[in-house]
Order: sequence, then structure tokens, then C-alpha cells
Amino acid sequence: MNDQATLVATLASTWFATGLAPAVSARLAALARPVSAPAGTVILREGEGTDLLGVVITGRVALRTLVPERGEATILTVEPGDIYGWSALVPPYRATSTAVAIEPLEAIVFPGTALRAALHEDPALAAALYPRVLLAVSRRLTATRLQLLDLYAAEQVRSW
Amino acid sequence: MVMTPPPPAPLPALAGPRFLSRDGIQPLLDLLRADGRRVIGPTVADGAIVMDEIVSADQLPRGWGDDQAPGRYRLVRREDDRLFGYNLGPSSPKAWTFPSLVPISRATRSEGKVTFDPVLPEPPKIAFLGIRACEIAALRIHDRVLQGGPFVDTDYAARRADTLIVAVGCTVSAPTCFCTSMGSGPELTAGHDLAIVETEDGLLVEAATPAGETLLAALAARVATPEERARATHEVAATRARIGDPVALPGLKERLLAQPDHPRWAEVAERCITCGSCTSVCPTCFCTSVTQTTDLAGADVVMNRTWDSCFSPSFAKVAGGSFRSRPRDRYRQWLTHKLATWEDQFGTPGCVGCGRCVTWCPVGIDLREEAAAIAPVRPPEPVIAPVAATPGAFAVGRVSAVRSETADTTTLAIDRLDPAFAAGRPGQFAMVDLPGFPPLPISISRFTADGLVLTIRGAGPATRVLCGLQPGDEVGLRGPLGTAWPLDRVAGRDLVIVTGGIGLAPLRPVLDAVVADRERFGSVRLYYGARTPADLLFRDELEGIWPHAGIEVALTVDRAGSDWSGPVGVVTHLFDRATWDGSATHAFVCGPERMMQATVAALAARGIGAARTWVTLERHMECGIGLCGHCQMGSLFICKDGPVFSIAQLGDTFGREGI
Repeated sequence: MNDQATLVATLASTWFATGLAPAVSARLAALARPVSAPAGTVILREGEGTDLLGVVITGRVALRTLVPERGEATILTVEPGDIYGWSALVPPYRATSTAVAIEPLEAIVFPGTALRAALHEDPALAAALYPRVLLAVSRRLTATRLQLLDLYAAEQVRSW
Repeated sequence: MVMTPPPPAPLPALAGPRFLSRDGIQPLLDLLRADGRRVIGPTVADGAIVMDEIVSADQLPRGWGDDQAPGRYRLVRREDDRLFGYNLGPSSPKAWTFPSLVPISRATRSEGKVTFDPVLPEPPKIAFLGIRACEIAALRIHDRVLQGGPFVDTDYAARRADTLIVAVGCTVSAPTCFCTSMGSGPELTAGHDLAIVETEDGLLVEAATPAGETLLAALAARVATPEERARATHEVAATRARIGDPVALPGLKERLLAQPDHPRWAEVAERCITCGSCTSVCPTCFCTSVTQTTDLAGADVVMNRTWDSCFSPSFAKVAGGSFRSRPRDRYRQWLTHKLATWEDQFGTPGCVGCGRCVTWCPVGIDLREEAAAIAPVRPPEPVIAPVAATPGAFAVGRVSAVRSETADTTTLAIDRLDPAFAAGRPGQFAMVDLPGFPPLPISISRFTADGLVLTIRGAGPATRVLCGLQPGDEVGLRGPLGTAWPLDRVAGRDLVIVTGGIGLAPLRPVLDAVVADRERFGSVRLYYGARTPADLLFRDELEGIWPHAGIEVALTVDRAGSDWSGPVGVVTHLFDRATWDGSATHAFVCGPERMMQATVAALAARGIGAARTWVTLERHMECGIGLCGHCQMGSLFICKDGPVFSIAQLGDTFGREGI
């Protein structure tokens, strides 16, 4: 992943960024850089500023939240093709959970400030990217609602 | 008011069949012609026996027969002088009641004005001589299609209005015949005026209508002897026996329509040259086009109704292209229309079993063979009579082993059971009872040589006591009960199994079957979601046996601690972005109903539709055998009709609140 063409191709192989128009894809790739991190790396910390929007290429990122006396609970994993750090696009640009690579991670990341500036000045990029971010977040939201129902719990466990 | 009885029906003028020598056919021809009719009957022409106008009995195919097979027709000399000793040739009454080209309208276009004048036919009065039971059935089908609905084909109606039918009951048959399967022959039952059965003696003629009686009376034929009648009955019965029952019609419609993706459609299309021979010789095919012929100026136009064929490339064409561009789609359209969808449209199949499409196919494609290959009759699953099949009876089994799966779920192996239990099928359940507790429906999570395995979550008082049983303890069982996962349907296909929580239990016997005969199935993928990593059932299988057997296993949990490195999230996220092709995949789903709804929607988005997705449902049951009334869901009893259902079978009731 060391040249622009590879970056474009890698991005296009993810469901998040597949099928972008060539111009948009090139613009996005110009902002992107590949990263890798060993398992155990903390990528984002809940409540802290989110500097990077990332797309997982390989590996797995756990989104965790601290519950007193229960410790860190993983509430979702981000699998290849999906994004993490979407809070880099949404004020106040602070992470909503702690993100930890729980398998060796290869990702493509976009610096938040530069990406926001590009989205602001390039309506074509914004029109292409925002629906994809919204789709990724809504897929996660819908799933979270199902998880909230705690469907696999035994009958007598009622949380309300 | 005083009711008076109706007057007794007049006795038929002539009772029973009359006997005519073969030479007696000429007077019949003369009578029909004297009635002002063109007689259309069989004659030898162009190497075949065809229908054409007959003025003399000498034109009949006396002493001729034929040799027919898929893609083959030859005239052969008979060793006798029968007039009707041949099987059907390529032409049928359709050529006269529904000609291949008729003008239907004359139109003009001049200086921007247009006119249309429908052409009203003045058809000749026709008598059909020698047509068979299957052809009368075909005429009845055309009657329904072309004049039985709110709109009528006036040309057909006019031609059909005054047709007289002298039919022949079949004493011969070709290897291509299958009227017996389609319920259209070989016996003459209705729709004719005169019925002839030809035997070695001569012709037995019987009237079926007043017009037929008039003709028969004028022929002054003697009454047939009992021996002559017996021979005629015997010869037609022998024809039925010879033909047998080559097409399994009951359920064929459903079986065919369940196979839109069968690979055989593409295979038959390799042979099919889409020539449309089958549709042009078919006595029921009615699809037409309107062709227009104009003068040079384009001002005077004749609109003709012409036969068309669903095999022609332009048949399903619109401005953007053809809806059925591939031969396989056209063959499927034709076969499923003939044998399945026609029934929904017109009340019967669109095929009468005449076999012409088989004989006259230049490459010998046999509709019977294709239907049997695409929609085979599955031998009925042997019905396992449940043990202890009354509400008060339970068979006693002994707990032979206990395994704690999770904090609240226990697996009990039960042995010393009636062999009927071990013969149960994946997906079936048992009613389990301990005296003092209500009987409960429990999924069977494995079948063993002398019993079964139950996986039970201790969610209430009775299940908690069951989970606490020890080896040697006894328990009451009724079963095996209910429907099974349709393993036969998925044999040779790709299978996706999506389960959540305890829902893996009723699917473990399916996975056992896959492990036992891995070659029987295509790719098998298991997607399993649990509450937490500690709630995953059957760890040995999940982590060892199933992956080693070539089953792709993917697990997820709703929440996890930092010691879990697998996926966390809903089970649908394991496959909603996967890249496998769902177009020919089948899916088995079990879990909480809300989870199954989300799964069914996600599977549908991957191309796995309602007919290829099965779920197993859970409802309150007291008996498990359809007597207590608790488990009703719409028109279904979950215990008897289920618990395994296809989504197509459940329709709108699946996931609807309060049903």
C-alpha cells in the first residue's frame, strides 16, 4: 500500500468505499494513508478527540466502553470493510468509545481536519462520502437496537 | 305452493352403441356433407397423417399406422385395414378453430385520420372426424382461454360456434402419449357428438348429443352385440394400461414453480434450438401476434392475427430489450406455463398429453423427462409414528449422560428409548414431561443409536428441574414430533445456517447430517450469535468438528469482555457484507423470533428468497400433537404443520404482532 494506485484499489475493495467515481476516489486517496498496528494497540480513547477516520482492511477493531466494576466491555467489533472514528466527522469530534485493535490491523486512515476541509470545499466529495458514512452508522445503530433487546437472555431477565 | 315433480326425462332415442362396418363411414361422411359441413379428418400427406378436408372415405388412412418417438415420426403399414389405427400427427383442430393467420381488422390512415373495422369471420360449418379425447380436451382449454373470460376472441368464437365432432376413442398409443397423466384420455367422456371406437370387428358408434343421435338414426346401424362392446371397452382400457402414468401430475405445479433456478433449465437450453416447433404443434398454445400488411402508401392496412411462440426472440421484447433473452428462460416460460401457471390462470394445466411437442421436437427434447428431472417426485418421507401419541401417555427414557453447556443450559443424553425416536429427523422435537411439571416441547439436538439428546435452557421451574437431572434419572417423552428441515431440498446446494442463542440446538442434527455425508451438500456456512462468549453452546463442535468437516463457522456475541477476540455485534453482520452468491443458496434459521425477522430480511437482501428460507417457530404447547389448541398461528398448528416452515409458507403471518 505504498502508492496511490494501490491505495485507490484497496479502498475500492471495501464495501464502505466501493464504486466511488474515479475523481472522488482520487481525491479521497490523496488524503489517505495506510497504517498498521499490532494487536492490543489503542486507536481511540472514549471522550478524547478523534483525529482519524479509518477503514479496516484486515484485522478487527473492538469498540469498548468502561463499565464500573465490569471493566472494559466490547459492544461492537469493526470488521474489514467497515469504518471506525466516524466521530472525526461529527462535532464535537470526540470518540464515543475506546477502539482497540484486537487482531493485527491494516487500515486506511484519513486525517479528520483535512478530510473535513475537503468535504467543505468539494461538494462532489461530500455528496459521495456522507451517505456512505450515514449508511455505516445506521447499520450499526440498527444492530445496536437489536443487541439492546438482549434477545438471547433467559426469559426472566428484564432490564426494564 | 304445491310442488309438482318434473316430467321424466325422455329416454334416449337409441340406447347403447351401434355397429358400423368400416365401409359404413362413407354414409356418415355423406350425411355430414349434406348438413353443409366441411369434414376435416385424417389423411396421408407429406409423409404423415394430417388433418385435411375429406370428401371420400378413400382419403382416410386405411391400414396406416406410425412409429413415433422423441424427435421421430415415420409412417408404417399396419397389418390390418383399420381406418383409425394411427396416432396423432402434427396437425390438430387448432388449424381450423384458431388458424395460424386470420385477418382481424382492416384499417386506414389518411391525412392524419385513422379508422379500424374489425373483420367478422364467416367460417364454414365444420365437422371434425377422427379427433381424439386429448384433442377435445385441448378444444375445451381453448374455449376457456379464448371465450371463457370477460373478453372474447370473436374469430375463435365464430369458428367454434357450430363445430360438430365425431371423435375416436383410442385403441392405439404412441410412446409419446401421456393423456392418462393429464386426465384427458384415452376414453371419450365429453365434448363430442358421436363417439367411435374401432376394433377388429369394425366401428362402434355412440351418440352423445341430439345432433349425434340424429346422425346415428340416419345411419340405420344395428345395435352392437355385448361381445363387440366388450372388445371395444377392452381395447381402450388396454391403451390406458399401455400408456401408464408417465407424468406425476399431483403437486407438479408446486414442484416446478419451486425450481426457477434449477441447473437443468440451462442444460436443456443447450439442446433446445428455440425453433418453436413444440408451440406450433401444440393444440393449446394460443399466443399470437398482430402483423400488419399495408399497401405501398401505407394507407390501407390489414391486421392479421398470427401464431407466435414464446420461443421466438422477439416474443418478450420491449424497447429496452427482451425480458427472456436466454433460451433457458424461454424454455422455462413454456414448460412452467404449460404445466403450472396455466392452472392458476385457467383452472387446468395447459397440456393435454398429446405428445406432439415430444415427437416433433427436432432434437427430441421430451417434456416428460424434463419435468421429471426439474421437478422430481420425492419419495414421501417415511412417516415416523410418534411414540406415546395421546395426551396422557409418555414413553420413559433414562438419562445416560449430562453435560453442562453454559451457566443455564444443559444437554441430556437419553437412552433406552423406543427406536422410533432414533429414526426422527433433524428439526423434530419431543414433548418432555416430569410428573408434577407441565409437559414442554424441547428441540432434539442430536439423534443417537438408541435415543436422543436434548439441550435445555433452565428458564423456568420445569426446565430448571430438567437441567438438574442426573444420569440414571428417568423422564417422560412423546415424539419425535413435527416437521423437519428439508435436507432433501438442499442436497447438492449451498446452505447457510443462521442461529442465535439456544436456536443452535434444533440445527445441530442438520450439522450432524452434513458431517456424516459432507459430499451431499455444497458449501455450508454456520453463522451463530450468542449473548456472551460464555453462552456459546457446543464448543467442541464449533471450534473443532464442524470447521474440520469443511463447514465455515462464524461466531459473534452481543457483548464481550476484553478476553474475547472474536466479532461482537448482531449475527446478520457476519454475512450482510459477505461476498458469497446467494442466488441458489438455501437458508435454515433458528433463534428468537425478532432475530429471525432481521435475519430473514438480511438473507432476502443477499438474494435468498422466501421459498428458500426456512425457520423453526416456538409456541406454547401442551400436547404437541394438534389436540390442545395452544400453538395456533393463523391457519397453522406449529406442532403438526411445523415447527419448521418456509417463509413462503408463513407469508404475512411471520413476524406479525399478536398472531
